[in-house]
Amino acid sequence: MQSQPGQTNQSTGQKPFLEIRNLRKSFGGVQALKDVSLTLEAGQIYHLMGENGCGKSTLIKIVSGAQNATSGQIFIDGEATGPLAGDIGAIGALKAGIETVYQDLSLLPNLSVAENIALTGQLVAAGGRLARRLKRAELFATAAKALAEVHLPTDPAFLTRRTDTLPLATRQLVAIARAIAASARLVIMDEPTTSLTRQEVENLLSVVRRLLDQGVTVLFVTHKLDEVKSLGGHAIIMRDGLKVAEREVATTNKSEISQLMTGREISEARYRTEPKIGEGLLEVETLTQTNAFRNLSLSLRKGEILGITGLLDSGRNELALALSGVRPASSGAIRLEGKSVWPKTPGEAIRDGIGYVPEDRLTEGLFLEKPIQDNVTLPVLDRLKNAIGMISPKRARKLAEDQIAGLQVVAPNVAAPVQSLSGGNQQRVLIGRWLTIEPRLLILHGPTVGVDVGSKDTIFRIIQRLADEGMGVIIISDDLPELLQNCDRIAVMRQGAIAATYDAATTSEDRLYQTMAGAAPAVTDLEMPA
Amino acid sequence: MTDVPASAATPGLPARLWDLMGRRPELFTLALIVVTVIGVAIANPNFFAMNNVFDILRASVVRGIFAMGVLVVLAAGGIDVSFTAIAAFVMYALTMLVTNIFPGMPLWVILPLAALGGAVFGVINGLLVHSLRAPSLIVTIGTQYIIRSALLTFVGTALFMNLPASMEAFGKASLITWTGGTGVISTLPATVLVLVVVAFATWFILERTLMGRAIFASGGNPGIAERLGFNLFHIRLFVFGWAGLLAGIAGIVHVASNRLANPFDLAGMELEIIAAVVLGGARITGGSGTVIGTLLGVLLITLVSNVLVFVGIPSTLQLAIVGIFILIAGTIFALRQRN
Repeated sequence: MQSQPGQTNQSTGQKPFLEIRNLRKSFGGVQALKDVSLTLEAGQIYHLMGENGCGKSTLIKIVSGAQNATSGQIFIDGEATGPLAGDIGAIGALKAGIETVYQDLSLLPNLSVAENIALTGQLVAAGGRLARRLKRAELFATAAKALAEVHLPTDPAFLTRRTDTLPLATRQLVAIARAIAASARLVIMDEPTTSLTRQEVENLLSVVRRLLDQGVTVLFVTHKLDEVKSLGGHAIIMRDGLKVAEREVATTNKSEISQLMTGREISEARYRTEPKIGEGLLEVETLTQTNAFRNLSLSLRKGEILGITGLLDSGRNELALALSGVRPASSGAIRLEGKSVWPKTPGEAIRDGIGYVPEDRLTEGLFLEKPIQDNVTLPVLDRLKNAIGMISPKRARKLAEDQIAGLQVVAPNVAAPVQSLSGGNQQRVLIGRWLTIEPRLLILHGPTVGVDVGSKDTIFRIIQRLADEGMGVIIISDDLPELLQNCDRIAVMRQGAIAATYDAATTSEDRLYQTMAGAAPAVTDLEMPA
Repeated sequence: MTDVPASAATPGLPARLWDLMGRRPELFTLALIVVTVIGVAIANPNFFAMNNVFDILRASVVRGIFAMGVLVVLAAGGIDVSFTAIAAFVMYALTMLVTNIFPGMPLWVILPLAALGGAVFGVINGLLVHSLRAPSLIVTIGTQYIIRSALLTFVGTALFMNLPASMEAFGKASLITWTGGTGVISTLPATVLVLVVVAFATWFILERTLMGRAIFASGGNPGIAERLGFNLFHIRLFVFGWAGLLAGIAGIVHVASNRLANPFDLAGMELEIIAAVVLGGARITGGSGTVIGTLLGVLLITLVSNVLVFVGIPSTLQLAIVGIFILIAGTIFALRQRN
């Protein structure tokens, strides 16, 4: 059931649940929030949208009490909050029923599902004091009740399971169950669907709808316009620390929202316009990986962009790992420009001219606390040696500066740590690293996961430029519009085989999805009705 | 959500054993103990004589008390190597105090005093770790050296051979006296009771209080634990304080059992105790560990260092065997984690 914006509260004349007036926040000389006012009515859904660095993270941190405002006022149920009126404070936010599900989910990996859901409740009841008996029966009862709300199992085996053994989508639901257990009145979700498959997203959205039905207010921070459309409600669009617009989702469209977010027009048109496809580059024959894919064959020409998609268990991830040497396949043949290659480690793949940009840039790809320069030059350190075998700092800086200029990375200099950059810029640094090895074949795994619309545009342009320069590119992704916009061909994997390959210019999102799910969409990896 | 419901197909026995070991690493420790005991019993059938069993229990007491403290610190994501120095300081200073000034002090005053003295040192460790924001390994190496040097410089270096009466009696008290077939008399010392109480108290704190959950939470991910409202400062004070408190008690038990207060004792035992806790299934990186597993780890280390000599393995080789066990256990636990 979708929420109908602006119905209940205006008719009953209740005070809005949360009202923010003229909120400002500056860090040193930088103004993260310039003057933001907004109103959240109880039981409604709001989508907070904007490019990375527009101030939306700061806003949710202030509302959840993690940071204090510089000035401004926040009212909850019409009452001013906190010592500065603009401050809620962490405890104040929890008491007001404001729960935040951060992108990292804030789950304790080594504790059980039940503890993660219900422990904080006991902690709050004890006023933060730790010399208290643990009420185990209560812990399990509270957790089971909250789990039932999100349609997860409530048996003891699940309650006592460590959360780090659960798949991401389930962990996400556990984090939401924690918010429910805390009797949340406002649930803030920070890009909750970033790494989920389509069916998992559908399931999450149905949980969100259920929260709305129960009168909970939801603030959804997202980049994905499709999900906004599917949930309805209001879109709050921010840019440069200002709220630039608020729209009813039903009456707006994707291109208007994109335009408001970026301040420029972004077309949904294909980036792939005049492909310059050359001679054969990659031949994969009867490649088999036990329990992942079998007898898989595909080919790629120079300057060609091949998209590969499929559900999470289709074998697409394993294929990427096999081609890049992270987890070599068990049998088959890979030929690059006619020469047989078989990378057994990522290092061997680099020597063969295969670059791989992994999906999870935070844990697999980047050294966040290290400077941009170190991140970019890592794979080619031996090329930067001077006469006595030491790394030449000059050459390294030059190489890194060339790369970040070419990729339009917004950074003060190449000595800045990667973690100081926005998501889109981090992704560009990661791509830049692999360009330093001048690969013949570049494999991009989810290149725009967690990246805003504006950065996506830049990344797509880079991908097109690389292909035009004669590189063969494989994009593995479940963002179908991204594949349709960028590829020449799209191969759809299902159950460890390529089910079909389509011409990206003529196929449709619908067709791809039908193929992914199988002719008769068997609900295999979803336990509950979406 | 594919793998949330109970597994559809029943996996094979090895897979299930592997999985079980992942959830209960102490079973692996138990298996190593059983293998060792069977090996020793085959080589020397007299091994099961009651005095051997009692000897092993006796030798486990001090190690076991230390290990409970180390377990709590490890579970919270820290490490403590100063506990032996704390124990040496407390036992020697307290023995000196009682002998020279209060010769009639009863045990029920001595033990709490030792616990208090140890806890003070421990809380200082916790304060330093928190306020310096330094790794606890470095902090406790520092405090270990300072405490040991202070003991030898300012308190004394002479041995106390004649203990106060109450401590002497504590060391001699026996729970069970067993007269073997050959007339050998073996006794189970009352000090074992101290370990039982300490182990139970540690189990209760870890598994039945909010502090226990907070300890595991901070060992799992301190940043998230803090965001969820757990007070890291209180957790650090507590875990290092508890380790110090137990070290003080262990020191007195050590003096009473040996009937000798030697300020040079206990030094160098730290790694052996940490190894026992890790053999018992606690991860060196924090966030896991059980009291039962730790007791088994201590038992394993004690077994190897006490009984192998009975089957003709020279004491110089025992260390190598302990080393091999640690390598095997370390590899298995690491492999299990990687899956």
